[in-house]
Amino acid sequence: MTPANEVDNQAQKLVAILNSTAPFSSTNGKDALDLALIFGSYEQVTSLFFQGDGVWQLINNQDATLIQSKDYLKTFAALAFYDIENIYLCQQSLNERGLTDSQFTIGNVIVLNKLEFSEKLHQHNVLFRF
Amino acid sequence: MTLLHLVRKSAFETSDFQQCIDTLAFGDQVVLLDDGCYNMRHTLMNKLTEVMVIKVHADARAIAIQAGTLAISMAELIDLTFKHNSVITWQ
Amino acid sequence: MAFIITTPPNSNLTATALNYIELALEQGVSVLGVFFYQTGVLNANEYIALASDEFQTTQQWQLLHQKYQLPLHLCYTAAEKNGLSEEKNTNNIASHFTVSGLGELVELTSAADRVVQL
Repeated sequence: MTPANEVDNQAQKLVAILNSTAPFSSTNGKDALDLALIFGSYEQVTSLFFQGDGVWQLINNQDATLIQSKDYLKTFAALAFYDIENIYLCQQSLNERGLTDSQFTIGNVIVLNKLEFSEKLHQHNVLFRF
Repeated sequence: MTLLHLVRKSAFETSDFQQCIDTLAFGDQVVLLDDGCYNMRHTLMNKLTEVMVIKVHADARAIAIQAGTLAISMAELIDLTFKHNSVITWQ
Repeated sequence: MAFIITTPPNSNLTATALNYIELALEQGVSVLGVFFYQTGVLNANEYIALASDEFQTTQQWQLLHQKYQLPLHLCYTAAEKNGLSEEKNTNNIASHFTVSGLGELVELTSAADRVVQL
């Protein structure tokens, strides 16, 4: 029988992985994506957020091989396979970087204003940031 | 659902604190620790009504506790962890 | 609760994390485990030699593990990238760490009522 105080522990986990780092010069982007994919493979509800320099990870036509870096960005395509479909971008971060009309490597991203981004983040109960 | 925000970086160095402030919602609380203590000297503090700081971290850095900022202990931080639904770390 | 540690052993940030975790344990909080990721895996290196007047991170992890049976999980892929090995002749992973995969973090997250990243 589950003790009463353990019931809360079994509450559905809604995982948010917040990406704040640009690709390549740090492993944060890849490490965050690896985490997202593992949560997805365990069928955990997982959302990805991109804020600040994290939004750079999603712009089109990047070529990591030019700088002897592994092209982990290709792996974003695997997100859909693991049912990770909630991908949120911070509008302000895009604006600051002149990225408002950009094409992103993931098709179904949702651009949110500051308030919406915060609200969406608050709908999750486990938060990682890289 | 409220969040406890742990800020460990100086806003004079990175934009982590700014990003934290951008995501704050009603009921959330912010704790400055490690280099986050330096934020007490930053103008971004004007955007916040209530901030907490880990006293020993500020004292170690000789950063005086600003008026309006609540100095707490690490032990109190544990309590805060459970007061809120979740924790997000800005580092 | 559960923790994910991404800071290296010779960083004061890890001392903060150890402080936090130890206080939680002292207060009787159930800490299901600590998962080491990114450069946090370096905390598992058996051969870390910090000057004697410096904060002894590895010792502290060992103490918490022994006193509270605190599980310390190492992300193996991150460990390999950082020169940690569990091969018989080149084993440099301190024995109080458990070599795990990212799946362990999923398990910890799933079971814990609070997850803190430090």
